[in-house]
Amino acid sequence: MAADPILLPGDYLDPKVLPSHPSKALKLGPGLLHIPPNSIVSTVAGRLCTDNKKNAVWVEYNSGRYIPVVDDLVIATIHHSATDFYYASISDYSSNAILPNLSFEGASRKSRPQLAPGALVYARITLANKHMDLELECVSASTGKSDGLGPLTGGMVFSVSLAMARRLMLPKPGEQGQLVLLEELGAAGASFEIAVGRNGRVWVDSKSVKSTLAIGNMIQRTDQEGWMVEKQRIMAKRMAKEIS
Amino acid sequence: MAISAEPTVVLSHLHHTDGSATFSQDGYTVIGAVNGPIEVSRRDELPEEAVVEVTVRPAAGVGGTRERHLESILQATLRQVIFIHNFPRRLIQITLQVTSTPDNDSVGSKIVQASVNLPILPSLLQTSVLTLLSASIPLAMTLTSILLAVTPDGILRSPTIKEIQGANSVHVLAFSSHGELLVAESDGIFTMDVWDDVHTVARRICCVETSANDSMQEDGLEEKAGGIMTFVKSVLQEKVNQDLNWKK
Repeated sequence: MAADPILLPGDYLDPKVLPSHPSKALKLGPGLLHIPPNSIVSTVAGRLCTDNKKNAVWVEYNSGRYIPVVDDLVIATIHHSATDFYYASISDYSSNAILPNLSFEGASRKSRPQLAPGALVYARITLANKHMDLELECVSASTGKSDGLGPLTGGMVFSVSLAMARRLMLPKPGEQGQLVLLEELGAAGASFEIAVGRNGRVWVDSKSVKSTLAIGNMIQRTDQEGWMVEKQRIMAKRMAKEIS
Repeated sequence: MAISAEPTVVLSHLHHTDGSATFSQDGYTVIGAVNGPIEVSRRDELPEEAVVEVTVRPAAGVGGTRERHLESILQATLRQVIFIHNFPRRLIQITLQVTSTPDNDSVGSKIVQASVNLPILPSLLQTSVLTLLSASIPLAMTLTSILLAVTPDGILRSPTIKEIQGANSVHVLAFSSHGELLVAESDGIFTMDVWDDVHTVARRICCVETSANDSMQEDGLEEKAGGIMTFVKSVLQEKVNQDLNWKK
């Protein structure tokens, strides 16, 4: 099992591959299911990953549709508004999530952001329960600060695969995800703003429509064509020259 | 046997679906697409589990009774495979379009409208499981299935249309990756002893993981060597490696 880390649904994990930590409890990540008393089964096809420091084990895979998890950051589209809530769409053909009117930084009954249908918000998932509607917030409940969340004005949204969205959100995308595109673009003098949602959406804004489109397309092509570090560097330099 | 029994698969090739696969085997080609978990209409929703909707479209014309029968078998099977309790009040929609069927020049290939169409069932089952795997919808297990015909000469794997017409009985069996029997559909006249033999052979082909030149060739039945499970595994290994080429 250790030599063949590809898992298929229904494969039992060999206890030998699990990390062991003297004090921390074992954490099961996405794609794994615990069947009491002591078997762990994979539910998707993917590669097994373990982290001995965190005593965590999970399955890394690329999937089709985003399944919401609490504390994920997503880019949602406002669908319509009711008296106290906005209804926002996280992914196509899924039921809407609710975003309370007052969960924005500094929002009160008198002053709160007016969002038209189609507006974009960068939000955090606060409730993801399979039996209940999804709930979002654009403000940290404990500090009252937005921490970068809130309405996204201008720019464009691009769809990427869920694995690409995760890669873009890694703390060190260059080292952990072989992704140097954005750093190279920045280093080559392109200026832009970016927000990545775990639901496979990337929002890009820059000084002109041309450069926004160019950057968005590069992110999508990196994802679809599987550009490695070298290719990303070359394309980023070429692109930065064209748009600046 | 003119038609190659070597199965082929293309995974995740449709862009506007959550998962897709094209699977060809024994002259049948099926394109499968899955969307889910998505919103379900109020009328159909189940409060505790996901609705699994299967649509089978034939290669020519519109679906009829035969397709509805296949859909009901597929739907009941896939409800066992998918973790439907993870997605209450959601819909998992699977569409299977048959694009080619083996035609036979020596025998009239027109099939009576009302008769069951078991020979296509293994391809449909395999395609639907591969589409679900492509979409990474949580599954309890994977599944492999096989068509066997019992003829006066013995049990045949992947029979041609002519062999099926001359057979005493035709059987479709599907096994989960844990080796449990999931589907057993039969057509024709047979005894329980014959069915037991069929079950033993099918189980060996579906469940045993083999390398190409393993002991499978013994009795000449499995000359097209290799368990189906091995094939599914190698296809997914390729997909996962491609998806995660960025991960060291």
